[in-house]
Amino acid sequence: MTDDPERFEELVREHQAMVFSMACRYLRNRALAEEIAQDVFLQLYRKLPSLESQDHVVHWLRWVTAHRLIDHSRYEKRRPQSPLEDAPEPASADSMGSADPLLSDMLRDLVAALPENARLVMILRYQEDLDPMDIAQALDMPIATVKSHLHRSLSLLRDKLSRKKGVGL
Amino acid sequence: MNLDEELRAALRREDPSLGFAERVAAKAHSSPAPKAVMRFPRMMWAAAIAAVLVTGLTAMYEYRQMQAEHASRDAVIALRIAADKLNNARDKVSRREN
Repeated sequence: MTDDPERFEELVREHQAMVFSMACRYLRNRALAEEIAQDVFLQLYRKLPSLESQDHVVHWLRWVTAHRLIDHSRYEKRRPQSPLEDAPEPASADSMGSADPLLSDMLRDLVAALPENARLVMILRYQEDLDPMDIAQALDMPIATVKSHLHRSLSLLRDKLSRKKGVGL
Repeated sequence: MNLDEELRAALRREDPSLGFAERVAAKAHSSPAPKAVMRFPRMMWAAAIAAVLVTGLTAMYEYRQMQAEHASRDAVIALRIAADKLNNARDKVSRREN
């Protein structure tokens, strides 16, 4: 890949939503997500001459962002972890319809309360629309573990939501 | 409602604040060029290692050559001494016979 400055800015524009959204969904903090996304792109700038294609760039960005987020939660501990079972019950959704902004917000909170690996698996599955094989590659994780995280997280989300009258997903 | 669809809607991509790409690009271009910093020392290291190897191998070759020359010179001297002794012995024997 070229290290032409204008091409680099184009690349950032092209992939900023992917990197920023992964960080934002994971951290639930826009400012911190931008900071991490910026670091990831600066790392990309240094790495660019050795990346061979667009696909390679996308794969590299996903891999680096995921590991950056895991490192962040392990070493910086800015965001205290709490298991989903301990997360507060979502607000009543009696009046919520499909694709309701409140329901979306509730789902984002519940996903953000998942353990770190399960959270990343859910983000890659539903934000990036990756299949379990691609998620396993992106996170250096056995495919059986990915499937297990997906299954368990979806059960927990369903359980959490079904406790509230009117949200039967 | 379908949980998969709701999750896709909830976790859809969104953009960072306006001007993000410009800020990142400006920061990247203000940092030192990675290639110049990284590749030059690597080449220097390779050249230094190559020079040390060539010097070492040459010195070892020279040393072996010198040792071989010394050994052959010693062998010639030893042969000369042996030949002198044999000549002396032959002279003595022939003198007694006469």
